[in-house]
Order: sequence, then C-alpha cells, then structure tokens
Amino acid sequence: MKFLKKALSLGLVGAMTLGIMAGCSNGGDKSKDVVSTVDAGSGEAYKVYLITMDQMDQHWVSVDEGAKAMAAALGSEIDYQWDAPDTKDNAKQIEKINNAVANGADLILLAANDPTAISDAIKNAKDKGVKIIYVDSGAKEEAITTLSTDNYNAGYTAGKTMLESIKNTSGSIGIIGVNTATNSTMSREDGFRKAIEDDGRFTLLTTEYKDGDAAASQEAALSFITAKNDLVGLYGTNEGSTTGVGNAIKASGKEIIGVGFDKSDSITGLLEDGSLVATMAQNPYTMGYLGMAQAYAALKDLQTGPAIIDTGVSVLKAEK
Amino acid sequence: MQAKVINANRHKKSNVLKRVISIRGMGQVISVTGAFIIMFLVFSQINGNFASGDNIFNLLRQIAPILIIGIGQSFVLITGGIDLSIGSVAGMSCMLSATLMTKYSMNPVTAILLTMICCIIVGFLNGFLVSKTKLPAFIATLGTMIIARGIAQLVNGNRNTDGISSSIFKDLFYYEKTAGVYNTIWLALILFLIFAFILSKTCAGRHTYAIGSNYEAAKLSGVNVALAEMRVYIFSAFLAGVVGLILTAQSGMGTMDAGNGYELNAVAASVIGGVSTMGGQGLLIGTVIGSCIWGVLENGLTFAGSPLALRNIVIGIVVIISVLIDRIARGNIGGVKKLFKGNHKTD
Repeated sequence: MKFLKKALSLGLVGAMTLGIMAGCSNGGDKSKDVVSTVDAGSGEAYKVYLITMDQMDQHWVSVDEGAKAMAAALGSEIDYQWDAPDTKDNAKQIEKINNAVANGADLILLAANDPTAISDAIKNAKDKGVKIIYVDSGAKEEAITTLSTDNYNAGYTAGKTMLESIKNTSGSIGIIGVNTATNSTMSREDGFRKAIEDDGRFTLLTTEYKDGDAAASQEAALSFITAKNDLVGLYGTNEGSTTGVGNAIKASGKEIIGVGFDKSDSITGLLEDGSLVATMAQNPYTMGYLGMAQAYAALKDLQTGPAIIDTGVSVLKAEK
Repeated sequence: MQAKVINANRHKKSNVLKRVISIRGMGQVISVTGAFIIMFLVFSQINGNFASGDNIFNLLRQIAPILIIGIGQSFVLITGGIDLSIGSVAGMSCMLSATLMTKYSMNPVTAILLTMICCIIVGFLNGFLVSKTKLPAFIATLGTMIIARGIAQLVNGNRNTDGISSSIFKDLFYYEKTAGVYNTIWLALILFLIFAFILSKTCAGRHTYAIGSNYEAAKLSGVNVALAEMRVYIFSAFLAGVVGLILTAQSGMGTMDAGNGYELNAVAASVIGGVSTMGGQGLLIGTVIGSCIWGVLENGLTFAGSPLALRNIVIGIVVIISVLIDRIARGNIGGVKKLFKGNHKTD
C-alpha cells in the first residue's frame, strides 16, 4: 500500500514534468529559433524583445501584431519575442526585463509600467549592452527613441470633441479614470480638464478611478448619472473605462455625451448605437510596426531620427 | 566478534539514511526535488541561456521573495491556518517604507524599523483574532488583507510615492551583489536558516507542529496554544514586511499595488513542497524546493519561448498535481483508497 502511494506520487510528478514539456514544445518553432541563435554575437540574428504592461489588453496585442509584422518583413535577421506580466505590476515587469537581459536580448521595445520604478532595471539592462526603445510609455532613463501617443494633446482633443457636441450651456461633466499611477491616462485626464476649464461653462466632478475595469467603470458612471441631475458629459480615459461609460449611458437612456479613449469591438458597437459620441483611437499597431523598424535601425547603427515620435490619435465617430 | 562489529556499523549507516527519509514530509520533498532537477535539465536543454551564470543568479533573485514569504505562510499552514493578508502586508510595507523615506525624508534605518513595527502589529492582530477570538484564519486574515491594502493606499494620499533617493537601500535589498551573489539571495538564505532552525530545533517549532496536528491534545499537554498560534502570524507578517522592503528597493519607490496576489503564490510554493494545508506537516526545505519550482516554471517557460497564455495553465496544473500528491500520500482520497485497498484491511 505504502509502495503504491509512493509510486502514484512519483507518477504524478512524472505527469507534471510531461505537462511542462508539452508547454515548452508548444513554443515549437520559436524555441528552435532560440536554440540556434543562442550563439549570437556573430550578429546573425538580433534578439528583439517586446515587453508590455500586461498580456491581455487589446492595446498591447495590437502593438505585438505590428511588431510581429515588421519582424516578419525583416526576415531571419530578427528573432522576435513578446513578453509581459499577466497583470500590470512594477515588480513583475522588472523581472521580465531581467529575464530578457539574461536571455541575451539585443534590444528591448519597452512600454514602461511606471517612469520611475522601472528606471533602475532599464539602466541595468543598458549597462549590459542592451538597447532600449520605448513604445507607448517611456521612463526616466534615456532611450534611443520613443514612439507614443501625445496623451495630453489627445485628452485636449477629446475635451474639444465633447464640447462641440454638448447642447446645454451649463452642467457637470464626470471623468472615469484608470488610476493615479499611470502617467498616460493621467495626462489624458489633464488635457481633457484643460479643454473643459478653458471653455468655462461646465463643472468638472472629482474623477473616479476604476483601474480600467469595464464593470467597475460602468457602476461608477451610473452613480454619476443618478447622483447628478445636471450631468451632461462623461469621459473615459482608456478602453475599459470607455466601455463602462458607454454602457452606463446606454443603460440610463439619458442624453449624455460620452467620449472615450481607445478602440475595441465593444466601443465600436457603442459608437454605432449612439451611446458614445466619439473615441480617441490610438495607433498601437503603428507603435509596434514602426518601433520594430526603429529597432532594426538602432541595431544596424542607422539613423533613428527624432527622440520622440507622436503616433497620434484618430477621432472615431459613428458612421453617419 | 569482528563480524558483529561490522554488522553494527552497517546498521548505523542505514539508520541515518532511514531516519532522514522517515522524517515526516521528507517523502514529498524528495519527489519534488527530483521533479525540480528534471525540469531544470529540460529547460536548460531547450535554451542554453537558461543555465547561464547570469540567469542562475537572476533566477535565484526572483525566487528569493517567494521563498521568504513562503516561509511565513508555511509556518501558518503547519498550524492548520492560512494567512491571506501577507500580500497586502508586503504592499503596506512597501508603501510605508517608501513614504517615510520620501515624503518624510526619514533615513532608511528608521524607516525600516517603523515599517517592520507596523507589520508586526498586523501580525499580532491576526494572531489575536485567530487565537483569542477563535475567528477562522481565512476570515480574520481576509479582513486584515483588506485593511492593510487600505493602509497602503492611505499612507501617501492614494498615490504612488516619488522615487527614493537612498541608493544604499536599493543596492542592499536588490541591486547589488556580495561575493558575486545578489544580496537578496543572501537575505533569503539567512532568513531560511534562522526560521528552519526555529521550526525544527526549538520548542516554538515543536509547538507549531503540535497545534497543527492536534490542537486539543497540545493544549492538554500544557502547550501555550494561544502564544504558539499568535507567534506564527507574527512571523508571517514580519517576513511579508521584509518582502515589502525588497519591493521598495526593486522599484525604487512605493507602489500601492505591490505584493498583490503574493499570498496565494506563497501557499502554492508551500504546498508543492509538501506543507499540508490541513496542518501538522511540512518541512521548510520543502518550501525552498516549492519556491524554486515556482520560479523555474515562470522563468524557464519564458526562456523556452512558451506562449504567454499557456504558462498560467501549466503552472496551475503543477500546483493542483502537488496538492493531489499530498492528499494521496495522506490517504485522503476515498475512491483511490478503495481502489488500492480493495476489501482488505490496511497494510
């Protein structure tokens, strides 16, 4: 009996190991590539990592798609890997950077989770000879170039867009933010506030921060709607917040101008049915695509041009 | 005469080996060590960089915080409880130490002392709730988990802190090496040795196992059960506090979200290493192996180029299998038991 118990335990351990090997072999071709280019330094294939803030947000998936497309176009000279923590977390992203460096990365395309927190890890990477290019969000440490949305201007544009659509001459406007720690979304809020304050007719309410969680953002938006009779506009500073704002306006049935950020299937749907008036669509695919091109230029010691490239926003409205 | 002496010596040698193997919990430790070695070899094969000197130290430094927080959780698990608050306490420690050093311009030593005192107070609160008011550990620590996270958010006015200026602090806890090994690794090693000693060689350690195995019997034997129970929660909070300091050093600032989810990673590391969630059993060396497996999986799967989505699934499966091993070894799966025993009595 005891022997059988031990045998079963060892059998499960074996199953564990096989499971892991299955997980690895699904890395399939990629792992073969990695093995064959491990003795890089001959400059045969450059190992370029994309490290984003998390793995799930459609925004990062688009950056990856753009980077992957350019990497494919560049051919066998680029060995491309995408890595990211499963949730937005400074410590986890630092670990990912450390891992990339230990795995022989030549260049990292980085969307820094926080400009201060990640800086030391970036400096360490640079000291070890790894080149850095920022995509979407930079950090304090200098990089070769940065490709991002000018969030403040985009927020200002969002504010102007909302003002164009509001028919009332007074009232209050609510903002559903992400969190106070993410610079990009705070800049979008600051730009928006400036536009509304410059106009002067409307009151801005205290921002609710719901971490980009669509459901929580929806509840917060609904609270604004029910609490404030004179609410004329709602603004969301990222994809999740915008989805929440749109759904809340739809649920309430009231005439409230909803403006948001980022693009997704849900948001497109909300634009179509009139719950949202406009959204500022960033260009994450372009960030990845051009970012990879810049990476190639940097690795080949070619000119990389300006220190900051604004990949801009498009104001998306419903098809009339 | 001679033959007798030789036989006696042979008996001695196999006795030592037998004694080591028969230590309760050692069976699983040996199995998972084997699994760990196999995993390590597999990953090194797939990507040569995995076993490079650089990555080994990188890996060990990643494992260190999991181990430190795992030690605390193991102590609590052995008493049959669970500490859900340790992730939040780590976050609270991160925010407190960073805020004291930035907003209040305190020197690192004072900041560390004050932070650790606060963490110990939380540990004391947990211990008090569980041992004196008889609140289930799950509920008590769930409450303190939320409170500690709230304190982390409150301390700097619901904002992450500025960057800390003390490079000594950052280097000491994370960035620098001593004798070629990262300081974080030394820290984990020293804490492991101290707490392993406490657990295996002191009365405090014995009592920890005692109240986990049979609370009533321990009480009747004269063990101060309230003290023994309170102690493990204080240990746990203390170690979570240390991890918080490491997080502060790593990011060079305080983040309100720091440590999110660490409590469950600590449970996973402990359970993989053979610490039973039902109490009374477990060796800290097992927690070491458990943390190493956790770290190797994360790190190794990245190096193997495994798709991101698959990694979580693999890690989750490993955790479940480890718990299954524990259950089967304890003979707690009714169906399996019957399958092997049939109609006969136990062996």
